[in-house]
Amino acid sequence: MSTLIIKNLHAEVEEKEILKGVNLEIKGGETHAIMGPNGTGKSTLASVIMGHPKYTVTQGEILLDGKNVLEMAVDERARAGLFLGMQNPAEVPGVTNSDFIKTAINSRMEEGKSVSLFKFIRDYDKAVTELKMSEDLPHRYLNEGFSGGEKKRNEILQMKMLKPKLAILDEIDSGLDVDALKIVGENITKMKNKDLGLLLITHYQRLLDYIKADRVHVMMKGQIVKSGDYSIIERIDAEGYDWIKDELGIDDVRVIVEEEEERVVLGVCATKEALDL
Amino acid sequence: MVNYELTPLMNNDIPNEITSFLTKDLTNYVIIKDGHIIAKSLEEDFNKVYIDSYEHAIPDKINVFLDSEFVNEYNDDAYTYNIENVNSGLLIHIPKNQVITKTLHVFYIQESIDLVNNTRIILEDNSEFKYFEYLYNVNPSSVNFVSNSIVRENAKLDYSGISKLNEKALFSITRNSYVSRYGQSNYSVAEVNDSNTDSKTNIYLNEKYASGTTKTVAITSNHQEARFTQLVEHLAPETEGYIENYGVSNHNSVLVFEGIGKINKYMKRSIARQSNKGIVLSKNARLDANPLLLIDEFDVEASHGAAIGKIDDDQLYYLMSRGLTLKTAERLIINGFLSPVLKKLTTDELKEDFVLSVENKTQ
Repeated sequence: MSTLIIKNLHAEVEEKEILKGVNLEIKGGETHAIMGPNGTGKSTLASVIMGHPKYTVTQGEILLDGKNVLEMAVDERARAGLFLGMQNPAEVPGVTNSDFIKTAINSRMEEGKSVSLFKFIRDYDKAVTELKMSEDLPHRYLNEGFSGGEKKRNEILQMKMLKPKLAILDEIDSGLDVDALKIVGENITKMKNKDLGLLLITHYQRLLDYIKADRVHVMMKGQIVKSGDYSIIERIDAEGYDWIKDELGIDDVRVIVEEEEERVVLGVCATKEALDL
Repeated sequence: MVNYELTPLMNNDIPNEITSFLTKDLTNYVIIKDGHIIAKSLEEDFNKVYIDSYEHAIPDKINVFLDSEFVNEYNDDAYTYNIENVNSGLLIHIPKNQVITKTLHVFYIQESIDLVNNTRIILEDNSEFKYFEYLYNVNPSSVNFVSNSIVRENAKLDYSGISKLNEKALFSITRNSYVSRYGQSNYSVAEVNDSNTDSKTNIYLNEKYASGTTKTVAITSNHQEARFTQLVEHLAPETEGYIENYGVSNHNSVLVFEGIGKINKYMKRSIARQSNKGIVLSKNARLDANPLLLIDEFDVEASHGAAIGKIDDDQLYYLMSRGLTLKTAERLIINGFLSPVLKKLTTDELKEDFVLSVENKTQ
């Protein structure tokens, strides 16, 4: 059984502090959910745990079974048992899904050893069927030309194949229609066991209808401001977040204020010439 | 051909690197060393196809190859040198209506001479042919390689290749293709040389509805300098040309892609498209892509694009977040990037050779 402990975690991006002291403990077998309005640092927390190079940790620690996660490179964290189901997984042209997962499984094995091809294909096909994905998936390029829903299901498929100790699913429900949400929810519930720790990050309670959460946390201003059981979700569902803001006297919950993106005009050279750019 | 002189052969040995490809999976091959055919193995599919070196060309066939149509007039120094000093070459003639689905593999080996090769491939009306070439040198030398393909009405040529000359060679290569009505000419070549290289691929769409594609994958390393020029010239209306380049430059090397889509006046409803993609692996490496569209007609479709940069950080992070080491992740991304040519290789040994060459050059 694994335990992930996060203590007083502070992190910043481009010298702007996003996480302002997060404390969280997840034990194997438990399912936690983090909810909260947009821009409160939920996804940042997920990325920092996985080790995205964009973020700098300024204070605090993350421990997985007592080992200091912050000292590990991204790939070491993965091999130690962490998994992040991403909100926007990258597209990698030319690399097939099956090659990628095979390589990922082999990276967890001793040097020189590799997974039996027969077992791999059997497991992979089973996962594809359970997630109701198309049969040509193994030969398609990684996430290239996938719909939003397909990308999300592909994340769950990878989780099935890699069997992590602790999985974080970052807004795995966004972009899924009701049927797909049900499939994903059922598959995740099926994976639950006494060893797997789960952290679900979501805006809506929809996902939590399918996956039962043991603990619910609400994040605002880069901190976990409220923790409790499922009853919190019911109240958020009915009343929104205002009651928590009132309770805590917070007005603006956001730490990430999206700046209006600068408009860029893309065009062919001819337009550039015509516009004298 | 102005002059043709063969140097006597020193020995019949096939270098070990080439022998390793000759497995049972590799059917239909010709090995030509310093201008002499030293091994040949063909299945009956090729019974009606004429494949031989110049010295053995039978008199009534030689005219098919040596007529001056298209190929002897070309304003280029390396080319002029080639046709004046040929000492190696292969003649391949696919008769009318012959459709051959299997690939012919030709291994060109330089051993004891400065190789000046001129290969000619002629596809008569309605024929189809798949050709693969592997260029290899044993000793320091200059290699001047020319191949001309003549693709007649409704014929289809698939031309693929790997060139793998070492850093002791100086390499100049010109591949020309002349395409007639409804003809198709598709080139995909992998340039994994360590030599300084000047490579040209020219596709001339001579008649209506002809089409041509040229895909080049090139990797440069160390102090290598390499230039790849692709030209598709539309000499008839309603012709289609596609240029695709994939490059990786490493260490202190310089890689230049020049892609030229040229649509002449009155060649209406022609299509010229071009894309260039590149990855630069070290801060001293250089990769230039100069996509050119020379268009002298209004009623056409044309596009070009170039995207060059380092390996995508998001892709790396994604692969590593699944446990792949940085090195494995980079290797997977680069191999994926170069897959358009990898797909063309027929046997596992050739694929492995290509992948290993890429790995050696991208370390």
